[in-house]
Amino acid sequence: MITHKLIFLIKETFTNLWQFRGRNLFSTFIICLSFLIVGIFLSLSNNFQHIAKQIQKNLAIVAFLEEDASEEKINSVRIRLENSPYIEEVRYISSQKAKDNFSGKFPELKDIVDNLEINPFPPSFEAAAKKNVLSYEETIHFIDEIENMPGVDEVQFNKDWLERVQAFSRLAKAVGFFLGGILVLASFFIISNVIKLNVVARKTEVEILRLTGGTNLFIRTPFLIEGIILGFLGSTLSLILLMVITKAFPLYLGTSLGALTELINFRYLTFPQCLAIVASGCFIGFMGSYSSLARFLNV
Amino acid sequence: MIEVYNLWKQYQRPNWALSGISMKIKRGDFCFITGPSGSGKTTLLKILYREILPTQGQILIDQRNILRIPNHKIYYLRRLMGIVFQDFRLLFHKKVFDNVAVALRILGIPKKEVRRKVFYSLRMVNLHNKMWEYPKHLSYGEQQRVAIARAVVNNPKIILADEPTGNLDTELAFEIMTLFKRINKKGTTVLICTHDRELIRHFGEKIYFLYRGRILRKESL
Repeated sequence: MITHKLIFLIKETFTNLWQFRGRNLFSTFIICLSFLIVGIFLSLSNNFQHIAKQIQKNLAIVAFLEEDASEEKINSVRIRLENSPYIEEVRYISSQKAKDNFSGKFPELKDIVDNLEINPFPPSFEAAAKKNVLSYEETIHFIDEIENMPGVDEVQFNKDWLERVQAFSRLAKAVGFFLGGILVLASFFIISNVIKLNVVARKTEVEILRLTGGTNLFIRTPFLIEGIILGFLGSTLSLILLMVITKAFPLYLGTSLGALTELINFRYLTFPQCLAIVASGCFIGFMGSYSSLARFLNV
Repeated sequence: MIEVYNLWKQYQRPNWALSGISMKIKRGDFCFITGPSGSGKTTLLKILYREILPTQGQILIDQRNILRIPNHKIYYLRRLMGIVFQDFRLLFHKKVFDNVAVALRILGIPKKEVRRKVFYSLRMVNLHNKMWEYPKHLSYGEQQRVAIARAVVNNPKIILADEPTGNLDTELAFEIMTLFKRINKKGTTVLICTHDRELIRHFGEKIYFLYRGRILRKESL
C-alpha cells in the first residue's frame, strides 16, 4: 500500500517539476548561485589553509645570538634546540660564516661588507623543524621560549607569514559565509515563493485531493520532495561549476603573477565540505517548501 | 446517517447564513435541498464535508460528531463521502482515467485494482470508452459524469452534490439525475443542492426548502 502511494507521489513530483520547469529552473539557478559563492570562498580559504600548512611543514627557525654571548649561553641554546622534539637539525653559524655566506650570495656587495670595520653579522643557530610535528599554537609557544633564553637576541621565523596566511584563510571563510548566508537566505525565500506559486497553480488538484480524503502528508509530500530536489540540483550544480572554475582559473591566470598565483588560487572542496553543501541545499529546499506549505496549504 | 441539530452559521455580523437548521437524513435517502441563491444551501453542504465550521450546532454522520474530529483526521470523514460540484473540478492536464483514479491512489490501492475500479466506475456513467481522453475533449455533460465517476469510485456512503446540473441543459440535467438515482438505488445516501424545480418535481423524494438560512418546509413524497 505504502509502495503504491510512494510510487504515485514520486511520479506526481516529477510531473509537477516538468510542468512548471521554467520557474523551477529559475529557483535551481538561484540556489546554485548562492552555493557557488559559498563554495568559491570556501575553496579560497582551503587554498590559504593549504599554504599555511606548507609553510608550517618547512619551518626554519633562525635564532640570532647576542654578540657578546658567553660560550655557556650559546651551549645552553644549542642543547635546548637539539633536545627539542620539534627540531630535526641544528646548525651553528658563526659571525664569520654568516659573513662568508652573505658574500657568496651577494658578490656585488662583498666589497662593502669587507670594508666595514666590524662584522655586522651576529652568530646564529639555524634549526629546521620536524615536518608535521608542530601545530600552529605549539610553534608560537616554542619560538617564544627560545626568544626568551639568555644569549638570544632575536628569533626569526616565518611565523608572520603563517599568521597572515591563516588570517586570510579566516577572512575568506568569513566573507564566504556572510555573502553566501545572505544568498542562501534569499534562495530560501525564492524556493518558498516558487513552491507557493506551484501550490496556487495546482489549487484545484490540491482541493480535489483534500476533498477525496487525502491526508496532509499525502498532499504535502510531492511539494516537499520538489523542494528537496530543487535544493539538491542547485547545490550539486554549484559544485560542478566550482570544479570547472578551480580547473579553469589557473589556466586563465597563467604564470605572470609568479608567487601570487599560489595565493589567489582555488583549492577544490573536501568531500565533507561537498557533502555539507549538498545537504544544506536539500535542507534549504525542504524548509522553503515546508514554510510555504505550512502558511499556505491549510489542509 | 446524517443528523443536523440546531445549526447556526455566521460569516459576518449581523447576518446569519444558517439559522437553527435541524434535519435527519436516513441511510439510502435521496434528498434535495433547495432554495433561492443565498439561502444557505452551499454553506450547509460545506459544513457537512467540514470545509467550514458552524458557529453553533451539532452534526452526526454515521453516529459520529463530525465537529469533534480534529483537522488532521478529517480525511476519515471525507473518505465516507463523494462530492460533486457545479464546476466539475476536473484536472484538465490529466486523462479521464487519472481524474477518476486520484480518489483511489490516495488510498494506496494497487495499480491493477485501480484499473478495475476506475473502469467499473466509468462504465457506470457510460464513459468507459473515453477513459484515455482528456476532459477538455468531452462535453459538459460528459465532464460532469467524470466528476460523478470520481465521487463514486470509492464506494462512498454519502454523495454530496452542490448544483451538479447548474451548468447543464435540461436534457443533460435529467441524464445526470438519473445517474444519481441509479447510484442511490445501490444504497448510497444522496444529498443534492439545487434550485432547479423541474428536477425536484421529477426526482424529489425528500425535499428541504431553505430560505434566508432557515428551513421553510420539508416535503416527503
